[in-house]
Parts: sequence; structure tokens; C-alpha cells
Amino acid sequence: MNDIVIPPLVALMFFPGGLALLAGSLLYEWADRKLLACFQNRIGPRWFQPLADVVKLLSKEEVMPEGVNKLLFLMLPVIALAGSLTAALYVPIAGFSPAFSFNGDLVVTLYMLSLLTLCLGLAGANTVDRFSLVGATRTLTQLFSYEAPFLLALLGPALAAGTWQINQVNNFAAQNWWMMLIQPIGFLVALVGLMGKLELTPFDAPEAETEIVAGALTEYSGRGFALFRLGKNVELVIGLTLMAAFYLGGIHNPLDFLLKTLGLLLVLSFLQSLFARLRIDQVVGLWWRIGALLALVNILLVLVIF
Amino acid sequence: MHGTALALGVEKLAGVTAPPRAQAIRSLIAELERVHSHLLWLGVAAHEGGFDTLFMYSWRDRETVMDLLEGISGNRVNYSANVLGGVKLDISQEQADAIRKGIDFLEERSHFYMKVVTNDETFLARTRDVGTMTKEQAVLFGAVGPTGRASGLDMDIRASAPYAAYTDFPVNVITGTRGDLEARFVVRIKELFETFRLIRELLDKMPAGELTVRVPRKIPAGETISRVEAPRGELFYFLKSNGSDTPDRLKIRTPSLCNWASVMKLAVGHKLADIPMMVAGIDPCFSCNDRLFMIRRKESDPGQIWTWEDLRRYGIGYYQK
Repeated sequence: MNDIVIPPLVALMFFPGGLALLAGSLLYEWADRKLLACFQNRIGPRWFQPLADVVKLLSKEEVMPEGVNKLLFLMLPVIALAGSLTAALYVPIAGFSPAFSFNGDLVVTLYMLSLLTLCLGLAGANTVDRFSLVGATRTLTQLFSYEAPFLLALLGPALAAGTWQINQVNNFAAQNWWMMLIQPIGFLVALVGLMGKLELTPFDAPEAETEIVAGALTEYSGRGFALFRLGKNVELVIGLTLMAAFYLGGIHNPLDFLLKTLGLLLVLSFLQSLFARLRIDQVVGLWWRIGALLALVNILLVLVIF
Repeated sequence: MHGTALALGVEKLAGVTAPPRAQAIRSLIAELERVHSHLLWLGVAAHEGGFDTLFMYSWRDRETVMDLLEGISGNRVNYSANVLGGVKLDISQEQADAIRKGIDFLEERSHFYMKVVTNDETFLARTRDVGTMTKEQAVLFGAVGPTGRASGLDMDIRASAPYAAYTDFPVNVITGTRGDLEARFVVRIKELFETFRLIRELLDKMPAGELTVRVPRKIPAGETISRVEAPRGELFYFLKSNGSDTPDRLKIRTPSLCNWASVMKLAVGHKLADIPMMVAGIDPCFSCNDRLFMIRRKESDPGQIWTWEDLRRYGIGYYQK
């Protein structure tokens, strides 16, 4: 199924990228919220709630706070969503070949995902609201702490496969044992790194609602907020796809994709329900003292074995 | 809790004592209220630390005690069990059995919560050595209730000045030593165990007899104070009667007001992320802190300062609107 080639424009606009990805990402957000609710003994949202949220937000008035750069304020959500949608073109979503693929697209994909976080940080720093500013500082601080270990953890399978092309790593993973078993340390770091990237508990200090309202997005309402949220949902799907492709034996058909990503999501939701929120200094300490070290050990092991 | 404090004060002025069964029921309701308050606090404090799972769990279990209280009094929050001279509700055998069953369940759950707050690494990272208050500081800031007791301040009105049924059913005062947020969690959960023990004892040895005693319609002139141990600490009532059937003055000092000073001092030097948890650590009741401030702007403007008469007239006028 991996050799079905979809015309680039269709891939970009409708399937597997574009509209299908957006719709899918909303369902993934719902699955995450519902699972978390189950773990916390709550009922949780109905299946169309994320879509309803987006529709409502898009129809609302967008309030432009005083003292912001208007162009940046309007453009940042668009750039953020564009970044994560672009990243989707290089990963084998639903088990189809990526629309574009070249050697080194792993780095580009990760960069595009970081673009979203960067936009979040800038959006917070752009407003004069104190909650946004603190949130922006925390977002960017956290970016610098998890980014390197996460990248290193994804490099493990890539080095084993001898290529930095996501599609080829995906094929390599299919012909070998699951990387999760061969590189358990790398899997662990990548999984926790993904939680940091998505700002899930215990790494949700950047949007801690009991301290700084909604963090960097405090001043956003309506359209901008909806676009940022969509971007984050797409990031969730891409992150899960990357993890499944690299560590869970690759993905080669839609069923395979669904099972593996939803399985991962189950683990992510469970982990979210286990922890209290860490302070930002504790997050940075954790990543650089333990995360980065573990990721390096993983890389060394890969270099020695392969 | 407030009803008990007022009723005790009025009874003291009138020179009557409520019958033993009424006193035991007052204590029973107060202890059930303590269970609900501490479980509520546990959830709120966990939520401030971003631990929403604990929040949801403790509030789910709190429903058990809310249902018990509703079964006794018909209300979930304001039980209005007290009347002057006694209580207006009785505990039947079925209700007592239901309470025993509910308490057994909650005790088991509290053991689980104790394990969580003393073992969970991420949670300990947010509570251990945060907002530490020494015993000297606790005395200096006038901390009361579990907030003070977590710093080793051995002070519980139920033990030091027993009221209602606490003379016959003594309470072991729970204290901690560390004085940080973790100690406040531990002290409050240990207090739950003590409360469960006390509830069982109250149910087992509930005195028989009348529920009310006759209280004169007009309360003799005089003034008194009455103190009870609310879940948050010492609740203080000052009551003044002028010999009529309405109080001349009633002044309430809630425990939250006593504990605020500690947060303002201890917060200095802590990180922003710790502040919500430190505020939650004293179990604050914001509505209990409503106070009237009069600011004197100019020496030449005597109208800015109100006399007791002015204040009284303003108060009466406010409610007549």
C-alpha cells in the first residue's frame, strides 16, 4: 500500500494532508480528551466537541488588544498552522507515502513543528499582558529544554536505518524488529519528549491555568485561537505518526496507522493523568540532566551496535 | 459550624445548656462537615498544582459525605442543624448505619490519598520544602487550624477549650513538624482519620434523651465569646446582648483571616508557580475575608471617619433598600 502515489495537489489539499488531516486531528483531540476523562473518572466531551469548539471560535469576534504589532498578531496563528500542515507532507500519514520526500526531511519536519512553538512564544511576547509574557517565556524555555533530547531520540532509529529520510526509516522499521524493543531508552525519551512538545501534563507549565490563565494565548480569542489549536492538534497527529513510524515498526496501511497511533495516544493520555504539573525550572533540569543524557547514551549504543 | 458557634454563645448568655444528645449531634455534624471540607481542599490544592486526577478523584469521593449530610439534614451545604438550645434533627439507626458505611469507604480512600501525597514524585517536587513556616513564625503570624498545626503549633479548640460533645469525646490533636505544604497535606489527611474515629465513637456512644431545652425569648444583657474549631481553624464569635430578643452586636472572625498573614510573608522569594499552591495551602475562604475599610484621606475632612452609630445607621439603611 506504501507504493500508491497520490497526486501532490490532492495530497496537499484533501487526503492525507489538508482537510482530512484537520478533521482527523480534531478526532484525535477528542480521543485524547475522552481518554483523559475516563482515567480521571469524568464523562468527557462528545465526539464532535472539538469541531464545535473550532466552529464557535471561528465565528467569534477577534479582539485585538492594545499595544500589539497588528501584523504579527494576525499572521502568527496562520504561520503556526501552516508550519504544522507543511510538516505533515513529509510524514507517512495513514500509511500512505509522504507527498514529498528527500534526504534530510526529518530535520525539516522537526523544524516545522518547532515553528509552531516558536509562533506560540512570539504570540505571547507580542502582547503586553503579563500572563502572556510569562507564558511566552515558559514556552520558549521549554522548547530549548526538550527539543535537543527529542531530536536525538528520533535520530536513534534514523542512524540505525542509515538515512535521515522519514519514508526510508519507515520502510527500514518494517523489515526489522520494532525499534521500541531494540532502543527502549530512545523510545522513552521520544515519548516523554512528545509530551513536552505538545505541552501535556506534567509539562504544561507554559499554559498553567491556575497560575497564568492560558499562558501565551491569553490574549487570543476567536480566529487566532482556533488556528493555534488546530495547529497543535495537527502537531499531535504528526508526533504520533513519527513515533509509530520510527519506533513501532513503521506504518503501512490506514488500519496499521490507526492501531499504532491510537495505542500511543492511550499511553500518552494515561501518562498525563498520572502526574502533577512540574515547575518550569524543574522541567529544564529534568530534560538537561536526565533526558539529554539518556538520549546521548541511546545514540552511542546505536553507533556501537549498528 | 457557624450555627454551632452562635448557638453556643447565645446559650451561654441565656444560662442554659443544650442536652447531651443535642451536643453529640452538633459534634457529629461538625465532624462530617470537616470530612467534606478537607476532601474539598485536597481537590482544590491538587488542582492548583496541576494534578487534576487527584482533584477529580477526591471530589468524587466527597460526594459520599455530601450524600450522608443530605440524608441527615436535607441539605448538601448549609445543614441548619442548630436551634437555640439544641438541634432540630435526630440521627436514626438507619442513618447511623449509612454513616458508618460511608465512613468505612472514605477511610479506605483517605489511605490511598495519603499514599499519593507522600509518594508521588512530581507532586512532592511541588510541595516538599515549599512555603515552609517554622513554629515561631506560626505563632508570630497568628496561624490557626491545620495551617498552624502543620508547623507544630499544638492548638485545637476541640482539645484546648472543649465545647459541644468534645468534653466527653476527646480529640487527639494532629501536628506536623516540617511546616511546608507537604506537612499541611499530611496533617489534613491525618485529621481525616481522627475525624473518622471520632464519628464512629459518637455514633456508638450517642447519649439518649431530649434534643432541645427551652431558651428564654429575651436574652439577658451581657457579652460573651464563643469559639469552635472549624475545618480551617479557630472560628471566633463575639456576641453582645442588650436584653432584647435581637443581638446588639455580633462580630465574626474567621480562620482564613488569621492565616492570610502567613502567605504574605512566606510567599516572598518563591517562584510564581508556587504562589497558587501556597495560597491554597491555608485553605482560604475568600468570602470569609470581606472586611470594611475606612480610609482617612484628609485631616480636615472628619466626615471620612464613621462612628459606631454612623456604621450602624449605614448597615440598617443598606438592608432597607
